[in-house]
Amino acid sequence: MSKTFDRFAGIIFLLIGLLFVIESQRISESSYGSEVGPDIFPIGLGSILILLSARLLYETFRYEAVTKNEESIKYKKFFIIFFSAALYAALLEPLGYVITTFLFLVIAFQTMESGKWLQTLVIAGAFSFGVYYLFAEFLGGSLPGFPGF
Amino acid sequence: MSTLQFLMDGFSIAFQWQNILFAFVGVLIGTAVGVLPGIGPMSGVALLIPVTATITSGMPTEAAAASSIILLAGVYYGAMYGGSTTSILLNTPGESSSVVTTLDGYQMARQGRAGAALSIAAIGSFAAGIVSLIGLVLLAEPLSNIALQFGPAEYFSLMLLGLAAVSGLAGKSMTKALMMTVFGLMLGTIGIDAVSGIARFTYDLPILYSGLEFLTIAVGLFALGEVFKTILEREHEDGTIAKIGRILPTKQDLKDSAKPIMRGSLLGFFIGVLPGAGATLASFFSYIAEKKFSKTPEKFGTGAIAGVAGPESANNAASGGAMIPLLTLGIPGSGTTAILMGALIMYNIQPGPLLFDDHPEVAWGLIASMFVGNLMLLILNMPLVKVFAKIIETPKKYLLPIIIAISFFGVYAVQYTTFDLFLLLACGILGYLLVKNDFPVAPLVLALVLGPMIENNLRRALTISNGDFMIFFTKPLSLILLIAAAAWLLIPLLLKFKGRTIVLNEED
Repeated sequence: MSKTFDRFAGIIFLLIGLLFVIESQRISESSYGSEVGPDIFPIGLGSILILLSARLLYETFRYEAVTKNEESIKYKKFFIIFFSAALYAALLEPLGYVITTFLFLVIAFQTMESGKWLQTLVIAGAFSFGVYYLFAEFLGGSLPGFPGF
Repeated sequence: MSTLQFLMDGFSIAFQWQNILFAFVGVLIGTAVGVLPGIGPMSGVALLIPVTATITSGMPTEAAAASSIILLAGVYYGAMYGGSTTSILLNTPGESSSVVTTLDGYQMARQGRAGAALSIAAIGSFAAGIVSLIGLVLLAEPLSNIALQFGPAEYFSLMLLGLAAVSGLAGKSMTKALMMTVFGLMLGTIGIDAVSGIARFTYDLPILYSGLEFLTIAVGLFALGEVFKTILEREHEDGTIAKIGRILPTKQDLKDSAKPIMRGSLLGFFIGVLPGAGATLASFFSYIAEKKFSKTPEKFGTGAIAGVAGPESANNAASGGAMIPLLTLGIPGSGTTAILMGALIMYNIQPGPLLFDDHPEVAWGLIASMFVGNLMLLILNMPLVKVFAKIIETPKKYLLPIIIAISFFGVYAVQYTTFDLFLLLACGILGYLLVKNDFPVAPLVLALVLGPMIENNLRRALTISNGDFMIFFTKPLSLILLIAAAAWLLIPLLLKFKGRTIVLNEED
């Protein structure tokens, strides 16, 4: 565990708790005549989260920082895959399932380990077409298949 | 109708051809999920919910729910079988519940007794599955009858107990676990309030009116979080796989493991029934118990078959036992059962005491199918263990991107919105960061599922009492449950204070 992360998380969750308490005040009054309106539960939760985050922050000052020998973290690989996944999400509707899935898989396979193009293309193709036809044609589900359909 | 008759009806449902198929697919995928180190039962079940939802979409609701839950539960207990395979052959547990199996299982494999270890693990799991089923059948009626007496105050306290139990045992820091629980409850309040119909925290975004989808969050936190972690951190391929050799155990092996299997099954079952204490804890306890019972405790760690038989039975029995609070009380005791509960709710079927009256085919069909599924697992695992061992060799290059693609497909096929895909990715990153820094995510998912129900019962109870919180303390049953909840949180703290180390429950 890292102290910096814990402190950071403590502050973020503290702010979330605060935000919840403040925003709950804006929830309109219940009209159904009970004293227990829709704001009670979120206010309570927000307050508890504030207390717990404060406790976590306090704890971070008490324990020794554990230095783990960090393994080499492969940010580059991860970011390529992550951004292609984000693009995949954004383009799924306009371009359709088959094309986006195929492209995403090809990029991700090659990012994980380059080479073996034939295998990559076959697996990516089989998955994207297979899932689409099985789902949309055979099971009658609805997926945006191709652009302009 | 008597319990036996209900059970018979359950079997007639479990033996419908499509349900046999569903159970078979479930246990098969479950075993694969258990074998693959990158993906646990929780992500496995979460990933399959959308797939089963689509396959069953043409059926009437109740039959669809029964079939899906049969498949999903199959994944859950199937993973318990599969988890042992990697522990024994690779010294790498496929699931956290198989960690202790590595101690003696891998040693046995090194001595050329891998086949015996694997088959004893399968036989033990089968025996445990049957024991926990008998327990389930016996306890289901009485427990749900008790639960029928519950009012909103008791329900609130009971759910609080469930949350306390999961947070008290999850992860290394209780503060962090509690924070995750509260955060999950908070996420559950987003959307239109079911009691008053008022939109909360939606900021006029129509997509938020129905709340954050539990499935998206669960798949993101567990499956994607795990995938991201593997992409970022795991470079080296795991070690070499031990040879399996002769599969059937010798008579001596069977004799040595009969008692550990029985003890492990019973112990595991009761630990499984307790909320919060899951399969991991059960296997740890069983290992410790076997070491105590053994006449030759020094043999443990060097390939004692009892050290495989006990824990492997215990973790499977615990997964059966964990179904009891889920089905009878509507309180999931672990991350995986929380996801199963989410799946049932998706079909508009509320687990809890009324389940056995309102939807007997779902409840009893599931129970009966677990019997069928365990039998299939035994048959599958004995001769096919060599085939399953091959799954370990699936290259990560293909596996990880395909898991991402399956989660995308699953989430989109159920939700039809791009918003959920982005939420999925965000949850994946969040899941990776949280788990890496010892913030357990199982309590978050559990809280997200229970949140709306807790709030409902809280407000109903407070409405009855005119806003007086004492209602939770004056009702005896509710008070007992609250005390138990407090104890779950305080006892580990006290033990820690005394300097004792406690066995921690990893995600399972």
